[in-house]
Parts: sequence; structure tokens; C-alpha cells
Amino acid sequence: MPAVVLRGVSKRFYFYEHRTSSLREWFIRRVLRRPIHVGRAAFTLHDVDLTVGRGEAVALLGRNGSGKSTVLRLIAGIYQTSSGTVRTEGRITAVIELGAGFHPELTGAENIALYAAVLGLTRRELAEHYEEIVEFAAIPDLPDTPLKYYSSGMEARLAFSVAVCLQPDILLLDEVLAVGDQAFRERCLQRLRQYHARGGTLVLVSHELEQLRELCTRAVWLDQGRILMDGPIDMVLERYREQE
Amino acid sequence: MIGAVGRMRGVWRYRELLHSLVVRNLKVKYQRSLLGFVWTLVNPLFTVAVLGVVFSHVVRIPLPHYWAFLLSGYFVWNFMLQTLNTGTYIFAEHSRLTRSVAFPSEILVFGAAGSRLIEFAVEVALVLAVLAIFHHHVVPESYLVLPVLLLIQLLLVIGLALPIATLSVFYYDVHHALPIALTTLFYLSPVFYPAEMVPAAARDLYFLNPIAGLLTLYHDVLYWGRMPSPELLGGMLLAAVTSFLAGYALFRRYAAIFPEIV
Repeated sequence: MPAVVLRGVSKRFYFYEHRTSSLREWFIRRVLRRPIHVGRAAFTLHDVDLTVGRGEAVALLGRNGSGKSTVLRLIAGIYQTSSGTVRTEGRITAVIELGAGFHPELTGAENIALYAAVLGLTRRELAEHYEEIVEFAAIPDLPDTPLKYYSSGMEARLAFSVAVCLQPDILLLDEVLAVGDQAFRERCLQRLRQYHARGGTLVLVSHELEQLRELCTRAVWLDQGRILMDGPIDMVLERYREQE
Repeated sequence: MIGAVGRMRGVWRYRELLHSLVVRNLKVKYQRSLLGFVWTLVNPLFTVAVLGVVFSHVVRIPLPHYWAFLLSGYFVWNFMLQTLNTGTYIFAEHSRLTRSVAFPSEILVFGAAGSRLIEFAVEVALVLAVLAIFHHHVVPESYLVLPVLLLIQLLLVIGLALPIATLSVFYYDVHHALPIALTTLFYLSPVFYPAEMVPAAARDLYFLNPIAGLLTLYHDVLYWGRMPSPELLGGMLLAAVTSFLAGYALFRRYAAIFPEIV
């Protein structure tokens, strides 16, 4: 069984600001018998078929708003599909927004524990990886310093370290590779190569094409919510560059 | 029913998160505060003192040890008030989390209720001691029913907080409406007067407010030191379970689209 299978997946969003935003409006609509759900529907994904094999490293390409992040959120189970099915096999860690779930008043160690718990890990599972996370993040005094004293780069490093060190079966990264300084980025790339070499499945969204080429073997090009091209990364990148 | 059970199993898998959230809430609240828990006590005690003076010297409520009556209910009211208020902003506060991780988001509400319940447990322990020493002069047997009361209180507050939190995601109005509703309920619940003072004709209507029943249970157990009537205890247990299931069902209907909105 492949790691991820999307079959005929569409995702429709409503612009909720177009719906009634206050009770007053709701009452008025009720009284006038106007529809309450007037939101314009907008498709961000149209009938997407995508299969990611176990151990594959796939890049998602496309302009802003082409639906890349939506695909990741659907795979991660954050969004429900409007139609079609999503099947996944194994533990998924999605890093969509770095540091979501972190609390500024808590220390590094406490934040690591909280984030791991959000990702569904037990304390024992976290204990296995804890030392590795701290070492990889390489932030001085990490365990005892409240997060608010970190620089934003350090905070991103910590989030990234937790995500990659937990060894999920499927790792989804959304433009988070641009974190930290040059040295840390180099270590991140190395870490991801290692993760991939050990059989981890990787789906990556990034606008840094060279980085994608280094990590992935296959690329999927999304345009206006549809898959425009799906194939070996060199081929897709070449066409993508011509188009842009 | 089956849906709720399946959902609860999903939540059980995340019990570690629930624990972390409860610990986090308490830590963040007390971390940089010198007097810490004292502040949690100061606010309700101050209100109790004011109510005590007003309703035993100005408007007279004829109860022996009126202060003991106030103490036995006010902390419960305070618990409900604060936890329900949390419902209005809990999902907005965790919007980044909801948008980027797939987890059962009711845990945020459970965590808020859980950390508040721990604070309440400490408060009520103090109240129990004070009442036993200065009011009853013995430890009343009725104190044994307290765990059931805590269970009712927890189910009830979650059953009310989940719909409030759900509604708050869609309508910002809840922020403005809830304080008004709670102020009204303060007068329509037996916080500073006993429910017995409500005219018999209106009592059925009066007890449609589940908080009225909850407070009456606490008055029985803590203030009067007597076992509550089986009808009231059973009725409230049923009401709490019903409100929990109904509130949860409403929440589940909309929870899947929270990440798209918050």
C-alpha cells in the first residue's frame, strides 16, 4: 500500500466573510427569508489524483494560491475533502506553520513536550527522541529558557527540530526550509536526506527550486487547483521554469 | 451516541495532550505571579464579602451564618462563569494550532475545563474545611456526595462550553452576548439567595436553568450538610449527561470546518 493516495479530491472553500458575520444580520436574513449561507464557493482543488509511494520524496510546485498547502492539509487530515477520498498509511507529521502550539511563556523543554503531545506522541515516545531534538536544535540553554526570549529564527529551529527528529512515516513540510541561518539550513537538508534514506516519505512545498531538486526525485506541478504535470523532478522543473 | 463514543476514543489517544494542556494552563497562569493562587481566591472572596455585607445588613436574607451560605455556592458560580467565558476565545487563541495540526480540537475545551477544575478543587477543599470548622463544628456526612457533584459540574460546563465555543467561531457576537447572559443568570441562579425563596409557582421554570440545580445541590451538601434529594441529584445527573451529549453533538457537526475559518 502506498503512503498517500488522493483519489478525485476536490476542495471547495466558502468565503465565510460573505456569510452572515453577526447575529443581527442573521436575524435580518431570517426575517427576510434570505439565504443565510450566501458564501461564494471557490474551488482551490479540482479533481486531484495523487499517489505517493512509501519512501518517495515528492515536491509540490506552483504559484501562490495554486493549492499546494491545501493538498498538504488534506493529506494531514486538517481539512476534510469536499469530494473524493484521502487515504494515508502511517504516522504523519505536518509542519504547516512553524511553532504553532508553542507558548511564549513556557520553556524550550516544556514547549517540546507540548508540541510532541499535539502531534499525538506519548511521553515515552518523546523521551526516546528528546536528547536528539535538543542536540539538533543546538540552542544554548534551550531547556530552561522561556520561548519569548528566543529570536524568531531560534523558535523556527526548535519547531523544525521536533518535527524531523520524531521520525514520522510521512513528513509534510510547507515552505519551512527557509528557517535559520545558512549552517542550520544545511543541517536541515542533511537531516531530511537522512530521513529519506531511512525510508521516510516526504512531501515538500517550497519555492526554492534548487533545494527541491536536491531532496526530491519527483515533482507535481499544481496550477489553479489542478495537477498540470507530474513526473521526474528535472523534467517538471525545466518546464516550470520555462513557464514562469 | 455511537459517534460520540468513537470520538471519545480518538480523544483518549490524545490524553497526553490533555494533560499537557492542563499543566500548561496552570503554569502559564501562575508562573510569574508572586502570590499565585492567592489571586485566584482574592477576587471571589472579595465578592463574597461584599454580597455578605449587602445581603445581611441592607437587604436581609434570613439565613443563619449567611456567609457560609455564600461560600458554599459562590465558587461554583465563579467556576461556571470563568469556564464558559473561556469558550468564547479558546479557538481564536489556538487558531494557528487548529490550522496546522490535525487533532481533536475539543481537547482545548476539555483542557480549559480541566485546569479550572483543579483550581476549583483547591478552592472547595478550603471551603469544606472552613465550613466544617466554623459552621458545622463537625464534618458532615453529606461531604461524601461531593465527587458526584464535581462530575455533574464538569459534564455540565463542558456541555455548555462546547456550543458556546462553536458559535464563537462563526459569530463574534457571542463575545458581547455571553457576559449579558451570565449577568442575567447571576440573578436568576441561587447565588446570593436560596432557591427556596423563589415562589413555588415559578420554581419549575426557575429550575430550567441547570446552574440553579447545581447550586442547590452544593447548598444542600456544603451549607445544610444534608444529603440532596434523590430527585434533584438524579435529575441533575441526567441533565448534565444530556447537555454534555447534546453540546458535543453540536460541536462535532461543525468542528471539521474550524481549520478553514479560525
